[in-house]
Amino acid sequence: MLQKPKLLTVLDVAAIASFLAATGLVFFYAPLERVMGAVQKVFYFHVASGWVGMLSFAVAAVVGVIYLIRKDLKWDSVGVAAVEIGIAFTLINVITGAIWARPIWNTWWTWDPRLTTATIMELVYFAYLMLRSGIEEPERRARFGAVYAIIGFLSVPLTFFSIRLFRTIHPVVIGSNDPGAMGAFDMTPRMTQVFLFSLVAFTIVYFDLLWHRIRLGKLAERVESLRLKLQA
Amino acid sequence: MEQPANTLSYFIAGYGVIFGVMIVYLAILIIRWRNLKQDEALLNELDQKEGGSKE
Amino acid sequence: MSGLTPFISAMSAVIWKDLRAEWRSREVISAMLVFALLVILIFNFALDLQPNVRAGISSGVLWVTLAFAGTLGLNRSMAVEKDRGCLDGLLLAPVDRAAIYLGKAFANLLFMLLVALIVLPVYGILYNTNLLIPGLLVVILLGSEGYVAVGTLLSSMAVQARTRDILLPILLFPVAVPVVVSAVKATGGYLAGLGWEEIQPWFTLLVVYDVIFTSVAFMVFDSVVEE
Repeated sequence: MLQKPKLLTVLDVAAIASFLAATGLVFFYAPLERVMGAVQKVFYFHVASGWVGMLSFAVAAVVGVIYLIRKDLKWDSVGVAAVEIGIAFTLINVITGAIWARPIWNTWWTWDPRLTTATIMELVYFAYLMLRSGIEEPERRARFGAVYAIIGFLSVPLTFFSIRLFRTIHPVVIGSNDPGAMGAFDMTPRMTQVFLFSLVAFTIVYFDLLWHRIRLGKLAERVESLRLKLQA
Repeated sequence: MEQPANTLSYFIAGYGVIFGVMIVYLAILIIRWRNLKQDEALLNELDQKEGGSKE
Repeated sequence: MSGLTPFISAMSAVIWKDLRAEWRSREVISAMLVFALLVILIFNFALDLQPNVRAGISSGVLWVTLAFAGTLGLNRSMAVEKDRGCLDGLLLAPVDRAAIYLGKAFANLLFMLLVALIVLPVYGILYNTNLLIPGLLVVILLGSEGYVAVGTLLSSMAVQARTRDILLPILLFPVAVPVVVSAVKATGGYLAGLGWEEIQPWFTLLVVYDVIFTSVAFMVFDSVVEE
């Protein structure tokens, strides 16, 4: 039975504290945007979630490369954890993107390049989980996961550029013609502070979650090997 | 100076989704952890019994 | 370079094996072709497909057809290898795995190009336009190459999973978005008679995609087929 590391408890506290602080800042400190009103505040956690999603998928790809070189299964459990968490945060990113778009552009979906890329990325990582669920042997599952995480992550920038190029050539009737602006607004210093703090808070929360999820994976492995041992 | 648009309901929906998804994912993790801990305890017990009866 | 000749001969051996096997049974090509023509027919009733009038839609339909037919071909090509034990036989040979990858990918590319070469004139005949524009053919080549490069790698994985047939499209399509979008826009550009300055960015994307993914697939293929 493994003891929970002290450092993890410290990280838990840091994550909870910074998340609560960020929430407080967003609700009470951040100013009300003069055109969009309250919904603009969704932006802070919307971008932070998107950042965590991307970070997590990058982690999965890097860890995939390491696994292919080192063949140590502990890297695979990091990869799975990273993909799962990435899926959760990217989901938040996409849905809040739609919620933000609705009152501003009067439509749920504007085919914005960043959101569209995020959605496609989400599909890639669902595919990653489906690939893994179709394979029994842990070693092969790890190898395939690693390969697909790498391929998937490499496709993201290209997907983004192709959609952005598409948008510059096809200005849409609804939404901004500038493919960069989702809902553009000028950031006051207060907004920038809240924005940066949210990014930091979410990053801390991410690493905390990642560590917990990795421990969960290790526990699952222990249970599985116990089960196999008893069946023998 | 005109008032900003009243988008409070969207703000609430947005944060509902953010907290909602995070809580659901946390809950899923916690449930999985509990189930695995139970399995581990049960399997350890069985293992002890096996070990005992084999001797 | 002492390593190059056996590499190339291994690669050609794989290609010839696939081509000869296919020539005997013709099951993969005929499935792809019938499917492709059916898709075009169905789309004809669903949409207005005059190429010069609806260049954007026509190119989209064309590439959806190629992508789906391509998936069929990729699936069958790998499944046949696995089921007949050819894959294991190939792997036992003292040959660089990457040569096997390139051989398979090249054979798959030839199948896809063959389908395109038949579908394009049929499309042209049905809509009374010439689709055999040189630039358009280059786009078909570049787009198919990227698609097949990733597809061959992913189908090698999919075929080893339980859910094999349904898995390849799920794995391939999200990752193939850049190549399909670029190919569709470039093809549409040629059909609409656009100038090179407008088509060129799509070409760049296609080439970048092809280079990156072919090299990466080439490097990791080994990990995907080891036992």
